[in-house]
Amino acid sequence: MRAALLLLRKDAVLLRRSPALVLVLVVYPILVALLVALALQSDERRPDVAVVNLDASGRTVDVGGDRLSIDDYIDRLSEDVDVHRLDAGQAADALDAGRVSAVLTIPEGFISDLQSGVRQPALHLATSPRSPIEADAINRRLEAAVYRLNQRLATGYVEQVLELVDLVTNGGEIGIFGRSGDALGLRRSRVLVTDLQAQLRDAGDAATAAQLEPLVNFIDETQRNLDLAKPAANAIRAPIVLEVTEGAEGREPLSAFGFAGALLVSLGLAGTLLAAAAMSSEREDGALVRLRRGLISAGALVGEKMAFTAIACLVVGLALLGGVALFTDLTVGRWALWPGVLLLSGLAFAAFGVLAGALARETRSALLIALMVALPLMALGLVPGSEVAGAISAIVPFGPAFDAFQTLLVEPSIDAGDLLGTLARLALIAAVLATAAAVAGRRRPAV
Amino acid sequence: MIAAMSTAATPVLVARALARGYGEVRALDGVDVDLSAGEAVALLGPNGAGKTTLLTILAGVARNDGGTVTWAQGARPRVGWVPQRPALYPRLSARENLRLFAALEEAAEPDALAAELIGRADLAEHADRPAATLSTGTLQRLNLAIALAGRPSVLLLDEPTATLSPDQRLRLWGWLDELRGGGMALMFSTQSVDEASRRGDRLVVLGGGRLLFAGTAAAMTAAHGGGAGGPEAAERAFVQLVSGRGEDDAR
Repeated sequence: MRAALLLLRKDAVLLRRSPALVLVLVVYPILVALLVALALQSDERRPDVAVVNLDASGRTVDVGGDRLSIDDYIDRLSEDVDVHRLDAGQAADALDAGRVSAVLTIPEGFISDLQSGVRQPALHLATSPRSPIEADAINRRLEAAVYRLNQRLATGYVEQVLELVDLVTNGGEIGIFGRSGDALGLRRSRVLVTDLQAQLRDAGDAATAAQLEPLVNFIDETQRNLDLAKPAANAIRAPIVLEVTEGAEGREPLSAFGFAGALLVSLGLAGTLLAAAAMSSEREDGALVRLRRGLISAGALVGEKMAFTAIACLVVGLALLGGVALFTDLTVGRWALWPGVLLLSGLAFAAFGVLAGALARETRSALLIALMVALPLMALGLVPGSEVAGAISAIVPFGPAFDAFQTLLVEPSIDAGDLLGTLARLALIAAVLATAAAVAGRRRPAV
Repeated sequence: MIAAMSTAATPVLVARALARGYGEVRALDGVDVDLSAGEAVALLGPNGAGKTTLLTILAGVARNDGGTVTWAQGARPRVGWVPQRPALYPRLSARENLRLFAALEEAAEPDALAAELIGRADLAEHADRPAATLSTGTLQRLNLAIALAGRPSVLLLDEPTATLSPDQRLRLWGWLDELRGGGMALMFSTQSVDEASRRGDRLVVLGGGRLLFAGTAAAMTAAHGGGAGGPEAAERAFVQLVSGRGEDDAR
């Protein structure tokens, strides 16, 4: 224990004397955190879309008493994407140059087709082949935008149809779908017919009055059917209603998920590489030759490197969390739990790095091994795309560490049992890797 | 059978039939060697003869897979180990290295011991400079001083002068002679027959992991046809010994 503490102090002195390394240890995680957070939140970024308007009519369409023009339509699109109004040539150039991610073309006659209520107007979307993932995101955004507009138009059309139904029932002035005039209405028609029947009966012409009876029946039947049209039309207007319940206050799932990923990559890489370098430099400096002569056991040496790295991860992790809490809108919180989670994660990352350091003969090789193995495993931890990826990620430090970070950052409430289970998995992985590192560290050092 | 028996006082170390293999290669194959207090034993042999393997086993850095090492009074004495390549922390100063290793060796007062070793190694001028900035000779003196931090009674040195200039070599040997005069037992390896003949009380010649000769330089010269001529004759005898005749004699 005493020997381990002496070496821990020595490692701290060496770290303090390496400003470049300290800078890398602080700046690198921040840069990685920013990059990963940006990458994971790219879906939230508003894409740039060029809009080419070929409908120069300047007309508007009256839908349910609401007048819609091309400008209104583009304004509504700009709620979902950053719109750049360009002509066709400029838009094609911008798409080729990557300045916009897609081109939306509004065809000639769009408003008049919409006005007609008969011809279905079409929009044309061309996306960049450079970024299929972003193109997919834009497709989804524009589909959503078109869907919302369609909803609005459908509502307007249904309201107009219901007005027409009302007109047929009650009569009045017609002014829809470009038609105008007066309508008698079924109710007034029935009054007229029944009045006429009464006059005929009073005049002793009951036979003629009876001949009008089918007309009265038709009016009544039509009236009943039209009464059913209203609820049916409303059902068509919105067959399914999505009711959204807001998440618990203070948790921003996507940003928090992005930061959890950033924390994993930055601390995972910094911890793994620091531990690998600390362990392998004992061998490369030649000091291992002396240490292994009974001054410290291989297990204690591994433990010392793990403790050194875990403390570094704790400091860097708390600095990152503090920075995020101070300078962003993301709610961090749960400060009492963070030190334990960061220390345990740091120990597990360190065990991984120390194993790489113990296996390699040179620091450069150790760093390369640690980096090449850690990066893909981290990716599996971040995006477990399959059961196999999830299973692999779960048996290396990065999967459980990411779970723990997510639990503290994303989950609205913490299940203590789940968190303890995750931490126990981390501890077990750290112990297994540390044992392997101690066995590898018993190899004869170069003399 | 050849045994590198000490003719001096009671041996502090007696190694018998030491063996060590790395896969198919026998790095050390049944070597006997003794070392007594105040004695200097020179290990001679071409590259790959087994000198470093023998020293690392005696130093406790590597394990033997055959044979025994017995220490005087049944307990392993404090053994100082000076590897050929300085084993220290290049970014720590000479003083910090000495203080750290003195503390690791559980010295009662690491600071005082470090100061004492700095004085004895003539490192005062360089004590607070990072080890990485020291010259080869100074670094080797620091390497030796660190080995002394455990206050050893036996000192094992692997080619300690291989990279040193003549003046640095003389300076180092001056210090080693002092230590030896204080009763410390030395075993050192070298590629130089001249150095082995002049600095070693006895020579232990290894070849292919086997003991080829053990005795004085004069005995080696006489036994292996070096003829008259001092250092050159000893060198000639050594060459004849390791080129095959010695092995035949040993059989």
